[in-house]
Amino acid sequence: MDAIQISHVTRTFGSVTAIDDLSLTVPQGSIYGFIGPNGSGKTTTMRMIVNIFYPDRGEIRLFGDGRPETSTDLIGYLPEERGLYQKMTVQALLEFYGELRSGHSVKAEVARWLERLELAHRATDKTETLSKGMSQKVQFIATVIPEPKLLILDEPFSGLDPVSAEAIRAAILDLRRRGVTVILSTHDMHLAESLCDYILMIFRGRKVLDGTLSSIQDRYGEDTIRVTAEGGTAAVQSLPGVEQIRDLGQIQELRLARGADPQEALRALVAQARVTSFSLMKPTLHDIFMRIAGPAAEEANHANA
Amino acid sequence: MRMHKVLTIAKRDYLATVRTKAFVFGLVLAPILFGGGSIGMSLLKGKPDLTDRHVAILDHTGVVADALVSAAREKNERDMFDKKTHRQIAARYVFETIAPAADAAARQKQLLALSNRVRSKQLVAFLEIGKDALIPPKPSDDAVDFDLGTNKKTDPDKAVSYYTNAGGIDEMRMWLNGPINDGVRLARLARLGIDLKRNPDLAASVRIDGLSLVERDERTGAIEAARKRSEFEVFVPMAVAIILVMIVMVGSAPMLQNVTQDKSQRIVETLLGAASPFELMTGKVLGSAAVSVTSSLLYVIAGVVAVNAMGVAGLLPLTIIPWFYVYLLTDVVMLCAFAAAMGACCSTPQDAQNLAIVLLMPCVIPMFMLVTVLREPNGMLATAMSLVPPFTPILMLLRQAMPNGVPVWQPWVGLADALIFAVATVWAASRIFRVAILMQGKPPRLAEALRWALKG
Repeated sequence: MDAIQISHVTRTFGSVTAIDDLSLTVPQGSIYGFIGPNGSGKTTTMRMIVNIFYPDRGEIRLFGDGRPETSTDLIGYLPEERGLYQKMTVQALLEFYGELRSGHSVKAEVARWLERLELAHRATDKTETLSKGMSQKVQFIATVIPEPKLLILDEPFSGLDPVSAEAIRAAILDLRRRGVTVILSTHDMHLAESLCDYILMIFRGRKVLDGTLSSIQDRYGEDTIRVTAEGGTAAVQSLPGVEQIRDLGQIQELRLARGADPQEALRALVAQARVTSFSLMKPTLHDIFMRIAGPAAEEANHANA
Repeated sequence: MRMHKVLTIAKRDYLATVRTKAFVFGLVLAPILFGGGSIGMSLLKGKPDLTDRHVAILDHTGVVADALVSAAREKNERDMFDKKTHRQIAARYVFETIAPAADAAARQKQLLALSNRVRSKQLVAFLEIGKDALIPPKPSDDAVDFDLGTNKKTDPDKAVSYYTNAGGIDEMRMWLNGPINDGVRLARLARLGIDLKRNPDLAASVRIDGLSLVERDERTGAIEAARKRSEFEVFVPMAVAIILVMIVMVGSAPMLQNVTQDKSQRIVETLLGAASPFELMTGKVLGSAAVSVTSSLLYVIAGVVAVNAMGVAGLLPLTIIPWFYVYLLTDVVMLCAFAAAMGACCSTPQDAQNLAIVLLMPCVIPMFMLVTVLREPNGMLATAMSLVPPFTPILMLLRQAMPNGVPVWQPWVGLADALIFAVATVWAASRIFRVAILMQGKPPRLAEALRWALKG
């Protein structure tokens, strides 16, 4: 059974179409990453799944026949803009959110999660005394108590230090192992690549990518070369078949034109510089994102328009 | 609607409010602020200004001034000193008679000179008694008026003119009304040959006692004597209405700030992930209603104890208490829903502050109506206003608490109106709340908010 089925959903705000004819199927027990530039429609989509916004057209179904309005108790939602009641203690706040969703006491679960995310010693402190990282961990716990069937996390890692981020990542993976379906939005392409089973990219309200990372990469083929050569960027200028160079500092990333032969590029490079490393690969998610939504794509869109 | 969500939100908001110092201070401070005026007046009454009040009299009749001087002397002897302690408790009235000027030009100069004496505080006022003041006015001659409080343009020869720069309530002018008229009547009767000085009792005033209606005791069948009416008959209903206003304001005023705060601190979206906007708003309204009931317990118990201690318990029938609570809850629900919708439309505490005055209107307007209702509780204006839903809880309760009460149908009709209005307010507010709660930036215009209320 699929956790979410979104069918031809459109949502407008005044004259702005925030989501345009979006269809999506999220398999149960998977981690689905939503990527896209700011304002592309990720948060609107999440809000419609949680039933905060209603679609103008189309339909959203959760866990088979369930409609969002009758399924909110199954969902844990961590919004992008999140705050805490400043005068409540950590313990009281988490019990409040847990009871609000479940209707019963969640004391034991609160204690377990506080222990797990190393916040037990702050349980009786007011939330206004917490650091930003600690507040985000508390917000995460508030989202997963009681354990939801569907977890929707809008940029859960923004502003977290590596240690806290790792703790949240481990918790998400653990929840997925227990059958929880996770949707998360992120601007961190490496994280999306490493954490998500499926990736959806929304751009200007429309779905532009959807599938596993490898299926998305397969569409582009092995058109990317990573090279380390003496002379850096200067050494890779004017290579045959290379249409774009991206300087990563110690490494240069080259994108081949469609149909170009990487061997020719390698021969030309070796002829003019000492090469330390050369690898042919599929484009990264970051590269794909930039091809769709980067400045070059914007210029091309304007030119076509 | 899932009640466990509503109750969880209500419980959190209730505890968050009643556990604050502000709530406890509010409970204590509200009565002090409302009663501050009366307390101030009582304190000032205990320390009156004992400076002599000098008044000059220009008496063109030549006979009235003497009556005023002797009336002032009698008042001083009667009121100036406390009978037991012999301590001065009232200012002395000192009247000096001045010969009026002979012609018009000299009169103007004389009036100016006396005005300057008032300005330099040598006098508090001066009187000019017209030469024809003793001639009784004709029924058609409505310009002649001895009421010194009117602004009617009168013929100065037929009137008594009172010149002063005193502001506010002028006790001297109020007191003069009696002695001047007594003096004028005395002079008129003297002209007719009746000498009241020889028969002073002829002019003695008769006291009027205000009494309640005679009633038959339902148990014994005996006819009970009317009881003497007191000022508490006005004070007690007024106090009941003011207590209701205080509790409604304590319960509903924080809602606007609370919703705006939840919105600006980004708490709302997390809550909306777990509860629908209607559940969220209903929970908040219920929490505020619980706060109001909590604060009401203090005031109601204190009020009942106070009226018993003052021996005026009979003036406040206990049947008013259920009405008090019905009106309290109706008013709080109405105002809180309204406040929640307005709070949802605001993005900053400043926006909320600007709208706070609108929220206070259903409490402030009835307060302005208090005197009108107390004067004529069953008059057309009082009846009509008490049937206007936003004002019904306060004004109908005030009228019900008065000795004459109201026709039986009126509270029920008023309550039905108020309940329908409250339900409509909650319904419309929840629609505005749902649309506005996640919006940021400039608050919507009234037309836009109304469109949300009607179309969702």
